Amino acid sequence: MLGRHGNNLFWMARYLERSENMARRIQAVLHHSLSREDEGREEWAEIIATSELAHLFEQKYDGFSMMNAINFLLRERQNLNSVITLITKSRQNGRAVRTSLTQEVWMSLNETWISSEALLRRPVNIHDLPIVLEEIIKGSSLFRGALYGTMLHNDIFNFLRLGTYVERADNTLRNVYSKYHRLLPTANVIGVSESQSQWEVMLRSLSAWRSLNWLKKGRIDPFSVADFLIFDQRMPRSINFCYYEVVSNLTDLARLYKKEYKSLDLARTLCCQLKKDRAKNIHRIDLRYFITEHIIKNNELGSIIADDFNLI
Amino acid sequence: MFDEMLSDQSHRGREPYRKLLSWLENQDLKKLSKKSKMAEELFRRVGITFNVYGNEDGEERLIPFDLIPRILALDEWQKLEKGIIQRVVAINAFLQDVYNGQEIIRAGIVPDELIYTNPAFLPQMCGFIPPGGVYTHVVGVDIIRTGIDEFFVLEDNARVPSGVSYMMENRSTMLHMFPELFTEHNVKPISNYPKELFNSLISCVKTDIPDPNVVVLTPGIFNSAYYEHSFLADEMGAELVQGTDMEISNGQVVIRTTSGTEKLDVIYRRVDDDFIDPLSFDSKSMLGTPGLFDAYRKGNIVLANAPGAGIADDKAIYSYMPEIIKFYTGETPLLDNIPTWKCSDAESLQYVLENLRELVVKEVHGSGGYGMLIGPAASKRELSSFARKLKSNPSKYVAQPTLALSTVPILTKSGLAPRHVDFRPFVLVSPDTIKVTPGGLTRVALKKGSLIVNSSQGGGTKDTWVLGV
Repeated sequence: MLGRHGNNLFWMARYLERSENMARRIQAVLHHSLSREDEGREEWAEIIATSELAHLFEQKYDGFSMMNAINFLLRERQNLNSVITLITKSRQNGRAVRTSLTQEVWMSLNETWISSEALLRRPVNIHDLPIVLEEIIKGSSLFRGALYGTMLHNDIFNFLRLGTYVERADNTLRNVYSKYHRLLPTANVIGVSESQSQWEVMLRSLSAWRSLNWLKKGRIDPFSVADFLIFDQRMPRSINFCYYEVVSNLTDLARLYKKEYKSLDLARTLCCQLKKDRAKNIHRIDLRYFITEHIIKNNELGSIIADDFNLI
Repeated sequence: MFDEMLSDQSHRGREPYRKLLSWLENQDLKKLSKKSKMAEELFRRVGITFNVYGNEDGEERLIPFDLIPRILALDEWQKLEKGIIQRVVAINAFLQDVYNGQEIIRAGIVPDELIYTNPAFLPQMCGFIPPGGVYTHVVGVDIIRTGIDEFFVLEDNARVPSGVSYMMENRSTMLHMFPELFTEHNVKPISNYPKELFNSLISCVKTDIPDPNVVVLTPGIFNSAYYEHSFLADEMGAELVQGTDMEISNGQVVIRTTSGTEKLDVIYRRVDDDFIDPLSFDSKSMLGTPGLFDAYRKGNIVLANAPGAGIADDKAIYSYMPEIIKFYTGETPLLDNIPTWKCSDAESLQYVLENLRELVVKEVHGSGGYGMLIGPAASKRELSSFARKLKSNPSKYVAQPTLALSTVPILTKSGLAPRHVDFRPFVLVSPDTIKVTPGGLTRVALKKGSLIVNSSQGGGTKDTWVLGV
């Protein structure tokens, strides 16, 4: 496979995953904001700030309103992390490698792009918002289904999965980072109900709220949230799950190409590190340091993968 | 005006169309229009689109597809096929001669300044014969019809002819939507084209290479024909590469893959000569691969089509085609050229200026229907401003009479309506055979009365049937 095609596959999956994460986060925050007098101003500002886009937002809009924030995150083309920009970039990468994709995978991506373009052509109003978000998330699910159901599980597949899991790990890490102070033992002091609703937003944007609630029989505490999102191997958006998938896909590639790779070494190290940390009591982990460290390492993993496989 | 379906005194339509006509009589117009919409929807979902240049957001458009097929009877096709093969033989002989012995210049048939001052002439190709002796592996010959037995060659496309994916997709759309029509008609299949293209490409590789590695070279996703590039790569099972994916290693062309480098044997290139190799051609090109042309001259790679092939399809050379055919084949041309006035010639220019209203004027080096004037359709102001352009730079233009292109009906909201068409069959050249795929791309002007069929100017396409018996 061409190195450039490996790169296109990796980024096609990354951008699509990122767009899905963004849509899920908007969905979760919307849910939270609708029952608040200030329209969840703090939460929206936080999303805009984590993408370092506050400046652009102020340029584009007169002032804050929930719908301004949502339209900015969904359909502003100058916003490099808006859903429409990400889907467009994903599809552009896909179009460059359409000979590597099955017709079904390509069509699911192309159709997601066509329908997003149509849904987001004009500013979205609150009335249509739930359906628009659902449609966008459904597009990602269709893509995943077509991917597993129709593609050969070969190196093409491996590069796609690598893109997905490197991006997903990053997203979960950043979500936890933005709420780490709510997960600290002192959280109780800030106010139980306020913290609760904050975890709920985060869990919902990782579509983890129901599963954790079910596992814990309705008794969720900050430690169980952190433990679930970082270590739980059953949870498809946990850090552990993502690392495990990265190791597994890199192992496939190393076997196929009969070579040893630095990226595989690093991914294995990260997995081991996580195992060791889990053995410790979660109370004793410096969460802020831990998360920052992993964001950096995961980032590094992405660039080493690119070096190892000539992804240019 | 000749209509290929209806110009027949019996009122039952011309012979090749009779079965189709009786089928059409039993169809519900609304249902057909619905099917037409379905086809369009399918094209968009599959991404069969082309990019429009000069459009800022790089919008992708559909080429409108018309459901009514264009039909050629077997004897009509065989006549065309013979004429096309004769022409393509001459084109290849001409190219080999122009870049080697130049007998045609010495014989005084083609003036030397027309070759040497021509930007399509590549001195880098002189004294070199491409692998297998083939210059134009793929040719598209544009043909127009004006009457029952009147076919003319409008132009030859010997560089990187495009459109073949539309020929293929149009057919598969028709098969999908109207399978019953194909049980009633004996339509010659075209589905072998990619396989035959592949075979003709590898037939030029040295015989000691067991499984030649073929790639399709594209300028990238923003090129107007990108869909076609990916389609052909897909159908041939070839890698779709860009110039930056390749490099030269020990005189061989290799691609960089995820597991190292891999040697190439054939490049079916869909980029223009200028952009192949910045060391030999346009040094500013970002699309090329430095050193590729050297590897080519060493015989280490097949490039299809050969660089410099454009000198054979140039609009200035076109007017010499009848003599070129006679010179190399010793035969009379089977297909006619359209009479052409070269504006570089003072007398011709005078004639063209006096008769601008009746003529079509084209840029010698233009393509895609850009920058041309259609006299009968132009306003007074357009005519006078074009006359000024002509006078200031006459050698840039050639002129031809406005021919009454044949029509074939298209499906409109109010039923069938005649529209002008042209025709581009595709020719594959191997060292020992020349094959013309029985079919081709029929382009149709969708606007009533319009003669411009180019997709970039709002033209559409039709499936083209060659009937077996």
